[in-house]
Amino acid sequence: MKTTKIREKIIETLFLICALISVISVVAIIAFVFSKGLKPFFGENAYSFTDFITGVHWNPENNQYGVFYMIAGSVFATAGAILVGVPIGLLTAVFIAEVAPKSIVNIIKPAIELLAGIPSVIYGAFGMGIILPIIQKISPQPQGQSLLAVICVLTIMILPTIITLSESALRAVPNSYSEASLGLGASKMQTIFCSVVPAAKSGILSATVLGIGRAIGETMAVMMIAGNAIGGIPTSIWDKVRPLTVNISMEMGYASGRHQEMLFATGVVLFVFIMFVNITVMRITRKAGEKN
Amino acid sequence: MKIENNQSRIIKDTIGKILLYLASALSVMTLVVIIGFVFVKGLPGINIDFLTRQWQAKTTFINVELKNTEDTNLSDSYIASLGAHVEQNEDGYIAVTKLEKDSVLKDSKNLKGAAYEVKVDDVITKVLATDTKNITLEELNKQFNDAAMNGETLKLKVTRPGGGIKPMVVSTLYIILLSLAIAAPIGILSALFLTEYAKRGKILVVIQFAIQMLAGIPSIIYGLFGMLVFVQMLKMQYSILAGALTLSILLLPTIISTTSEALKAIPKGYRESSLGLGATKLQTNFKIVLPNALPGILVAIILSIGRIVGESAALIWTAGTIAQIPSSLTGNTASAATLTTKLYQLLKEEGDVASACSIAVVIIVLIWVLNLLSKWITRRFTVKN
Amino acid sequence: MENNVKFQVRDLDLYYGDFQALKKINMDIMKNQITAFIGPSGCGKSTFLKTINRMNDLIEGVRIDGTIHMDGVNIYKDIDVINLRSRVGMVFQQPNPFPMSIYDNVAYGPRIHGIKKKSQLDEIVEKSLRQAAIWEEVKDKLKKNAQAVSGGQQQRICIARTLAVGPEVILMDEPTSALDPISTLKIEDLAEELKDKYTIIIVTHNMQQASRISDKTAFFLHGEVVEYGETSQIFNNPKEQKTEDYITGRFG
Repeated sequence: MKTTKIREKIIETLFLICALISVISVVAIIAFVFSKGLKPFFGENAYSFTDFITGVHWNPENNQYGVFYMIAGSVFATAGAILVGVPIGLLTAVFIAEVAPKSIVNIIKPAIELLAGIPSVIYGAFGMGIILPIIQKISPQPQGQSLLAVICVLTIMILPTIITLSESALRAVPNSYSEASLGLGASKMQTIFCSVVPAAKSGILSATVLGIGRAIGETMAVMMIAGNAIGGIPTSIWDKVRPLTVNISMEMGYASGRHQEMLFATGVVLFVFIMFVNITVMRITRKAGEKN
Repeated sequence: MKIENNQSRIIKDTIGKILLYLASALSVMTLVVIIGFVFVKGLPGINIDFLTRQWQAKTTFINVELKNTEDTNLSDSYIASLGAHVEQNEDGYIAVTKLEKDSVLKDSKNLKGAAYEVKVDDVITKVLATDTKNITLEELNKQFNDAAMNGETLKLKVTRPGGGIKPMVVSTLYIILLSLAIAAPIGILSALFLTEYAKRGKILVVIQFAIQMLAGIPSIIYGLFGMLVFVQMLKMQYSILAGALTLSILLLPTIISTTSEALKAIPKGYRESSLGLGATKLQTNFKIVLPNALPGILVAIILSIGRIVGESAALIWTAGTIAQIPSSLTGNTASAATLTTKLYQLLKEEGDVASACSIAVVIIVLIWVLNLLSKWITRRFTVKN
Repeated sequence: MENNVKFQVRDLDLYYGDFQALKKINMDIMKNQITAFIGPSGCGKSTFLKTINRMNDLIEGVRIDGTIHMDGVNIYKDIDVINLRSRVGMVFQQPNPFPMSIYDNVAYGPRIHGIKKKSQLDEIVEKSLRQAAIWEEVKDKLKKNAQAVSGGQQQRICIARTLAVGPEVILMDEPTSALDPISTLKIEDLAEELKDKYTIIIVTHNMQQASRISDKTAFFLHGEVVEYGETSQIFNNPKEQKTEDYITGRFG
């Protein structure tokens, strides 16, 4: 009897260890990325952190590492994608959840799921093959690689996230709300936009924030179409940009020493952004959870 | 209340409806355009050779002991002393189309003396010093027959044609198996701990927080971490093991949360009745809880496979981009490109959109099949309950 | 007498797919009275209530034969469904305030019907909340989430929300079944006050409630109206054996 008890305890501990691997991983990732990424700012021959965070030129050969224009690039690209993608995604979700007949839902939903599963490099291929030539034609600048191209591709990439999460938020709204609204003489559209959508707002909000996370962390697709400028804050949508993620993956293959550490430092900046996004999502979902 | 604004309401409703349809059409259109683009560019390049051949052509010099034969079957396309059927390929070289059972080409040796088996589709580009380009089969046959009479050993230059994605398919498979071998047990047991054992409290909060954090970290950061820790510090070099270890961490949140959902969906009564029959908690978990969560676990694994197939940023700097079938877990020979990383490399470094799209077609079909599979499993098993 | 009829129901049949839920309903419902529908679960009383403001339209596979006239107008033919629903309001079984402030809940109806002016909305909100006898309780917390008050208050807010649209008829679908006795009494008092201005139709499980507040009562069974008449007569001197069995608690 006692041995079984001990055995149970041992196995439970084993399970606990498995569960702790996630914690260990997060801690390890943070520790390694931060320790390597913060190294250039301390000790002898330290690089000024202010220069790093406010600089607008990236030129490893001249020991020039400024990431401010990359932060701007990431923020602009993400904001653009959210501005365009959230309305489209939300409307599509409303269509799927509230309006479309079942037969159409059965076509659209798998399509959206497939869109969600397509790897980012294929979006990059699409951007290179279709979006860049089009932009090149209409752009006042000679190249197609631009902030606009990045926004287009990121918009498409966050659509599935926005649509699926908003749709489930909309579906979770109790029927009684729309009944009450219809009972007051509201039309179907009024019911949807004045009562169902507002009731789903926390779900839609967390979908949006997750979309931000996806957009800001996206690398491979963006790398092929951003133009990867070596300096300067983008001033128009036709300008080349170099988001944070791209900076890391562009040069990781051959960087070493200080240069490599600076790529990790870029990773730290990216990480801080993502952490912010993550915590926001957790806040929203926790709040929504408390309400129910 | 009088409805005075019926007109404007109808207009607003119509606008709303139009917007809904437009947005949905736009969403679906993007998919159609993307798939259309990939298929139009990529489908022409897809054939059996593309799917089965090696990526790079490989040339080997071999020594063949010819067989002195009295075979009278001297059709143009049959070289009796080699026991091989051949034909002239598009480039004018001699391609092997069929090998007899006792063909001497099957036990030829390379210059180092190691066995090298010539296979159908290989191309003989040189016989001794003679280039076989545009050589007539008659001449060729004569040359071989003469040599065979004298019982000579002939040196041949054999090229195994490339242009296929076999190494990437195999590497992808290896990485899937390796990653899941690491991540699936850890993830499933973690989920078991979280749903069946953990009490509300600090540990649970910390673990759940960590899982949510992991889920939000972009793959490029995983790539950075994997390169620093596995590739450099643990000296694995670009290798499938380094790639798989990196991916295992990346997969944990998916596996844990999907499995947890499945575990939570199991009615309490199952556990209670098992415990009530005198089973221990462990027995209950392995005999009742896990088997009932199997569909959910399967879905978790399928989702993970999809994620692995699509991953690039976390793999390029951990598993490398060499198109070869890895022959070890770490070190030089273990570097391997998956389909997706190869696709990236083709696009970015070589600008070869057509081949890239051909690979993309394979990937999309794969993802689509995985989607169908996970849906089928979900539907099948939820209906039953 | 004829002028006091609000609804004229003639030969009404309702089918859910193959299932016939209502059979040949004929009924005149009077203006400024409370009419109660009683009967066991599944007898069709709620279904019938919902046909009066066409909430059944929302359910797929519902087919309706026969006619309902409101003030002589066929509500299934000659009137826009949205117009109908703003004239025939509904209060549901479960209090179902929207997840917004009390003010926004009550103002919801007027707003969707095109009233934008703040002063006008304020006036409607106050008037409706007063009519629903809840103004005093909530006047200091109009900005508070409507789901944060008690169930009985929520239900009166929902009634206020219905009143704010300015209906002629109020349908109540077991409005007190989710409430405690004190809240129930408040709602009942409210219904009696409101009947001077509105026509009220109430579905209830609670026979005491029907006998307390209604003027007329209809007893439903298996989709048919077994008996319809003055409440006092139905409860004290039912003509039908089945009605007597039900109200004396022999089944149901």
